[in-house]
Amino acid sequence: MDLTQLTPFPFALTVDRMSALFLLLICAVGTLVVLFSISYVERHYSGPKADWMWVLLPLFLLSMVLVVTASTAFAFLFGWELMTVFSAGLILIDGDSERRRHNIFIYLLMMHVGTAAVIASFFLFLPHANSLNFASMRAAVAIMPMGVRNAIFLLSFIGFGTKAGIVPLHLWLPKAHPIAPSPVSALMSAVMLKTAIYAFVRFTFDFLGGGPSWWGYLVLAAGAVSGVLGVLYAIAEHDLKRLLAYHSVENIGIIYLGLGAALVFNANNAPIWATLALTAALLHTLNHALFKSLLFLGAGAISDAAHTIDIEELGGLLKRMPVTGVVFLVACCSIIGLPLFNGFVSEWLMFRSFIAGAELSNISAAVILPLMAGVLALIGGLAVSCFAKLYGVAFLGRPRGIEAEHATEVAIPMQAAMALLAAACVTIGVMPGVVLPPLIAVTQELLHSSSPPEPALSISRTLPLVAGCVIVLIIAISGLRRIKRITPTWACGLPGLNSRMQYSSTAFSKPLRKVFARVYKPDRTVEIEYVNRPYFPKSVTYHSVRTTSFENSLYRPAVDAIVAMATRLRRLQTGNVQVYLLYIFLALVALLVFMRFA
Amino acid sequence: MKFAVNVIEALLIVAIAPLVRGVIARVKARIQNRRGASVLRPYADLLKLFRKEDLVPDTASALFRFAPVVLFAVTVTAAAFVPVLHPSALLGVSGDFIVLVYLLAAGRFFLMLGAMDGGSSFGGMGASREALVSTLAEAPLFLGLTSVAILAHTVRLSGIVEFSVRQNPFQLSAVHVLAFGALALVAIAETGRIPVDNPTTHLELTMIHEAMVLEYSGPSLALIEWASAVKLTLIMALLVGVFVPWGMATSNSLLGLAFALLAFLFKFAVLAIVIAMIESSLAKLRMYLVPDFLGVASALAILAVVFTALMR
Amino acid sequence: MGLIGLAVAKALASSAVFLFVTVLMMASAKRISTCIVLFGLQSAVMAAQIVALAYAGKLLEAYAIAALVVVVKIVAIPYALFRIVRDLKAPHDTASSTTVAQSVFIMAGLILLSFFAVAPYAKTLRIDENMLASAVALVLSGAFLMVSRKKALMQVIGLLVLENGIFLAALTTTFGMPLVIEIGISFDLLMGVFLMGLFVFRIRDTFEHLDVSKLRRLRG
Repeated sequence: MDLTQLTPFPFALTVDRMSALFLLLICAVGTLVVLFSISYVERHYSGPKADWMWVLLPLFLLSMVLVVTASTAFAFLFGWELMTVFSAGLILIDGDSERRRHNIFIYLLMMHVGTAAVIASFFLFLPHANSLNFASMRAAVAIMPMGVRNAIFLLSFIGFGTKAGIVPLHLWLPKAHPIAPSPVSALMSAVMLKTAIYAFVRFTFDFLGGGPSWWGYLVLAAGAVSGVLGVLYAIAEHDLKRLLAYHSVENIGIIYLGLGAALVFNANNAPIWATLALTAALLHTLNHALFKSLLFLGAGAISDAAHTIDIEELGGLLKRMPVTGVVFLVACCSIIGLPLFNGFVSEWLMFRSFIAGAELSNISAAVILPLMAGVLALIGGLAVSCFAKLYGVAFLGRPRGIEAEHATEVAIPMQAAMALLAAACVTIGVMPGVVLPPLIAVTQELLHSSSPPEPALSISRTLPLVAGCVIVLIIAISGLRRIKRITPTWACGLPGLNSRMQYSSTAFSKPLRKVFARVYKPDRTVEIEYVNRPYFPKSVTYHSVRTTSFENSLYRPAVDAIVAMATRLRRLQTGNVQVYLLYIFLALVALLVFMRFA
Repeated sequence: MKFAVNVIEALLIVAIAPLVRGVIARVKARIQNRRGASVLRPYADLLKLFRKEDLVPDTASALFRFAPVVLFAVTVTAAAFVPVLHPSALLGVSGDFIVLVYLLAAGRFFLMLGAMDGGSSFGGMGASREALVSTLAEAPLFLGLTSVAILAHTVRLSGIVEFSVRQNPFQLSAVHVLAFGALALVAIAETGRIPVDNPTTHLELTMIHEAMVLEYSGPSLALIEWASAVKLTLIMALLVGVFVPWGMATSNSLLGLAFALLAFLFKFAVLAIVIAMIESSLAKLRMYLVPDFLGVASALAILAVVFTALMR
Repeated sequence: MGLIGLAVAKALASSAVFLFVTVLMMASAKRISTCIVLFGLQSAVMAAQIVALAYAGKLLEAYAIAALVVVVKIVAIPYALFRIVRDLKAPHDTASSTTVAQSVFIMAGLILLSFFAVAPYAKTLRIDENMLASAVALVLSGAFLMVSRKKALMQVIGLLVLENGIFLAALTTTFGMPLVIEIGISFDLLMGVFLMGLFVFRIRDTFEHLDVSKLRRLRG
């Protein structure tokens, strides 16, 4: 669809296989989130706020559609900027206190830094391409020198990485996602991050056609670090939405692991395995969109019912909100990657491609790729712990607060939206043959390879078999006659149990936080108030603050350097009109000299 | 015919699991100069538990009784992946060791949830410690199995076992030795034996697995105990099959299978005695030394993977 | 050669693997006596290698060297070390500056380093890459033991492992050192161990402990 006649800049939309995939993702998840929002907005907002919500939400979706269907650089950047603006607007609807404005500012700032890098990478095409539409950009790559291609790759990696949220460019994610309304968080986390993945794949595989091995190693490194650090930070959180935001960082890391493997295979002339790795990454993109939106919608349901998202105040919600509890459990199982749920399929494909990496003749690739399987296993193990903590503390046991005790099930549209997402997760998990052939077609088109990778087909046959076994066994055992009698909790005969005696989220994660203490670097203060002598303390206050280490080691020095440079440049602004006229005069003289000698 | 043998293999693992537990307990008792209970005692325990009532805490939800069912189902399904009598299993498919590890992780996840549903401090404590141990054991488990898979140029467990059968028993392969070291350490952690966890302790503060099942009783407890025994048996069968598979039948003849069964029982008896001796001679590690223990396993597993490329 | 001969031949072919295993176990050992036993095992493997070479090349000299190795490194030195440990009546732990996992990681890294270092030479000299790599690994691990363990006895054992590695490297590249040199080296070692034993008692009596990290009076 070409709208160039209507606009001053070239503006055209096309839909190829990959755009179609992401379009499906955006629209499917978007529809269900809107379904959820029908009752969520009705219950939480009124008057102008609700109106603004209903204006900005569709516009936000539309801007994302624009990004994935754009086929000129201008259309793409237009949609890209609109995404940021509309999401910031949606966050502002929830309130504009000082702290919220600070977080939104950081969000906008980092998005613009990323966009600057993206624009720079677009401009690098200019000397070689005659116009900035995607077709001519693709053709221009053939005549570009290697240095320019490397520069484009690095700039797009940084630019899209900022939007996707890889470490260390992830700082905005835990600041922006938690303060948004829950449906908006779901869209931002599940869909907006995926547009960055779309753009990165389009740049690296479609335009640049893959590159040398070090591109793949860089992406693998970014993916490994993001995956491990994301889940480690998530383990230490007890704010539900911040925890889920950090898990988005982790899953983006996993997707980047798949993309990096695909790049390495591409560089080593193994198109079948590159297809497998890229299929795994794209499937994980789709899966993450499904289960992350479900998790955030569940968080919205929890905040609707219990009016808090601090899991230390929750508990026992499964008994009081059965539908929400069950679908949230489905989402937890999916994100961990348990068999029969969709996360397992993409992780299995990724493991399979890493093991295949050992067959390459390049020694460093043959060693690094299987070790990435170990990193993926570590990430998976940490995710299991984190979600056991989350689900166990929030939904099981006794309620730890009054609000949680009086929680009731949420409205029907909310339940329906979540149930449909959960059904999608389970369907893909049990019968991956439903989504795998179209995905393989997408990657084959991107990588120009012809034969489908065999493991992808075998998993489509195996998983229904395994699922069948497990389900048959579960039904058989459940059918056994087991008499049950309800009694108070035994707990080795301890009397007077109350909800405060249960494990809290901080307590659950303590062993892991202690083992990985070097990542957290907690700042601890203990204040003890005494009566008369130091033997009789009146009160003890324990305060522990974690700063994510990047804020101090990376961002602070960078910000200080920029501010210092800006202070020095301020001297140019003397305030004297004649000096400004002098600047204009000097610019004119310099231009004449330059024209003479150029 | 092959299908029937595979079904029998899977059922064999499930059926002799309590016996393995009984043998280990009996050998430990003998080492400690006691007579010990009969080796068939665990069967009597299971029968007793199945006939009793299920006591459910009033704060628990439906997940409390559902979790043991899931645990047993996934563990039995995982047992169907392991080759026992000959190098093929009931569900021997491509990439099956990945499915096996994740099935065991699924069982563990549901057990942790069931523990937290009890509403007491001990459930949370057991779940939290189990989270620590299992998180750090995943990576070496995967890398160990990956290294032998790479060496065998296959991703099926049956393929790995066939490759090991073809090896000469006297020629040590560096990858196999390192992978065995890593997987043996991980096996101790996964099955909750000394020195990581004491399966016979009665002190709550020293429990990891036992603390998770403190609230369970009756048939639910029976399912959990049986699943735990099946897990121990299947990990032992995995170690035996991957590293000392000689004696397995290579054809479907009845004589070959009978010999394979005898060889299997013999190797299991030796392994059970070794486990009992290790348990009697070591002390349980302090909990924060367990990450160190698993760190050694990780180092060995990483070295094994790197060696697959060096030894080419 | 018969079945046993074949088995022995195969076992010797994997002696490099066995040496790697002893290196890793020494990194994770918590007691001094374990390290002494592992050192004895390493020496036994090397003696077996020498005997195999002697059998294959029909060199009578080599049998003498093997006998020397057996007497000095498998009998005399471990016996002396065990006696010192027993008479010291001090705690038997190895007093390491690194945790077990860190030691094993570092040792694994050293093994990989030895493979990388040996790779170009193996091709040109046409020797078994694994054996030379295990020799270099022994040298590096002996040095690492000396650096990371705080007890004086562990430094001695590190030195012994290092010398084992040098001997193995000489064995692999030149198919054996001349007998005279080998006798000389072995006696040097024996004297070194006995002198160290004497010194260890002197140190303990003067300073009341054997922690070398505290022996810093020589500071400038």
